[in-house]
Amino acid sequence: MKTNLFYRRVAVIGAGLTLFKRRIVETPREMSWVAARKALDEAGLELKDIDCVVIGSAPDAFDGVHMKGEYLAHGSGGVRKMVSRVFVGGATGVMVPISAWYHVASGLCQSVLAVAEEKMSPARPHPQSVFRYIWDPITEKPLNPNLIWIFAMEMHRYMYVNKVKKEDIALVSVKNKRNAINNPYAQAPANITVDDVLKSEVLVWPVNLLDVSPVSDGAAAMVITSEDIARRYTDTPVWIEGVGWTLDNTEWTGRELAYPRYLEHAARMAYKMAGIERPNKELDVIEPYDPFDYKELHHIEGLMVAKRGEAVKMLKEGVFDMDGDIPSSPSGGLLGVGNPIAAAGLMKAISIYWQLKGTAGKMQVKKPVHTGLAQAWGDLMQASTVVVMRN
Amino acid sequence: MSWDKVGREDKLLSWKDVMEAEEYVYTVGYAGEEFFKGLKEGKIIGSKCPKCGKTYVPATLYCEDCFVETSTVEVKGRAYLDSFTIIYKDSEGNKLESPQVIGLVRFENAKGGLLAFIEGEPKLGGEVEVIAYDVPLKVRVK
Ligand SMILES: [Zn+2]
Repeated sequence: MKTNLFYRRVAVIGAGLTLFKRRIVETPREMSWVAARKALDEAGLELKDIDCVVIGSAPDAFDGVHMKGEYLAHGSGGVRKMVSRVFVGGATGVMVPISAWYHVASGLCQSVLAVAEEKMSPARPHPQSVFRYIWDPITEKPLNPNLIWIFAMEMHRYMYVNKVKKEDIALVSVKNKRNAINNPYAQAPANITVDDVLKSEVLVWPVNLLDVSPVSDGAAAMVITSEDIARRYTDTPVWIEGVGWTLDNTEWTGRELAYPRYLEHAARMAYKMAGIERPNKELDVIEPYDPFDYKELHHIEGLMVAKRGEAVKMLKEGVFDMDGDIPSSPSGGLLGVGNPIAAAGLMKAISIYWQLKGTAGKMQVKKPVHTGLAQAWGDLMQASTVVVMRN
Repeated sequence: MSWDKVGREDKLLSWKDVMEAEEYVYTVGYAGEEFFKGLKEGKIIGSKCPKCGKTYVPATLYCEDCFVETSTVEVKGRAYLDSFTIIYKDSEGNKLESPQVIGLVRFENAKGGLLAFIEGEPKLGGEVEVIAYDVPLKVRVK
């Protein structure tokens, strides 16, 4: 049963991406413009047709510019317009279409340009260094941790509780990098084997190099409009039918690592709005957030597409393959396309939009699709954002 | 609560640390490269919008109003001082040997402008000539 009758209908009518790659020549502003221009072109709109601009970007420190939303506004078409920036860490990319959605669903705006950008390459020696700020300065920082440590512990806990083997998790990396071969924007497409993953360099046990997405620069943009505008510009609008977002306990030590409860809450919100009762039967194609290979499985369980601990079984049965029942990360995901934080999340939403529009080209999944979902995750590993779309 | 107390650092339980990236390496971008190449040749490079005809200085990749790609042009309009200020102390608070004039230099028929060190007697609207093509620019009041 649908419950969102009091919202105005919201459609996606255009999207654009830059290449995802390392050390891109363009400035962050120029990257934003490239993606935004492509999205306007696909929609058939000009900047003058846009009422407001939503910008998503992760910490300022990545681009090395403070107040990055203001900085990016110029390349995002925000000059002399209503501009807002959303930021929920890694979950930002899907928060961008969610924010654009409430600008339109509330009746405030008719057409929104939604832009996400991240340039990870300016911070040296490695963008990881900017994450040094996120730890508790007294109890955690003295260990000099980095993010991969924490993910390694989460992965280990997930493997232990659900009796999952590392070679099974590696199948996600194999699948996503293979899917990325069909994606013209991808940074790390490859035909690899489980053995390649297991034999790649150990970064922080049990995380190996090929379990992780690469460091990237990139931008993504979407044009999101009211039903009125959508009907005027396209015969094939894609509707945003459900949105959800949740923040769990901000102390990572205060959570059960084996199961992403933050996501279950966000997903329930989006499903209720979209009238989805059985996600494993009603979702045709999904883009769960996969900065690490185990994270895709973790998130598939949080999305309630698989029961707890059973995502691996479905993966091995081929359910999540391009020709499976519920193709997962047909874009190639972060593992295959790259991980410019906020832009990567919006790229996942764009992938679903193109799948539902039928314009995903070589990325198009085999089965006919009607309902799709994109998800991102981040902040102190406890925030999740979900968007459900239909054609 | 300690509204009325001033904590002394050596009495507080505290943890001292440095948490910085070692350095940032910025790219100037496509338009920025054209602009910096121009400076080396003693030129001010801007960009012209094919749609509205506006010229921007310094060069930008796109027109902020029309949102279309621009092409680079040399900016040759008369340079003038839009505004200026006089600096008496450096950022540490030390008095400068002689006050430093900095200003916003604009070019006729171009949008935008460049910050510059100013030599000579500054006057709002007064014409200036570029004496060092650098960042920041150095200009002399004509
Ligand atoms: Zn123009």
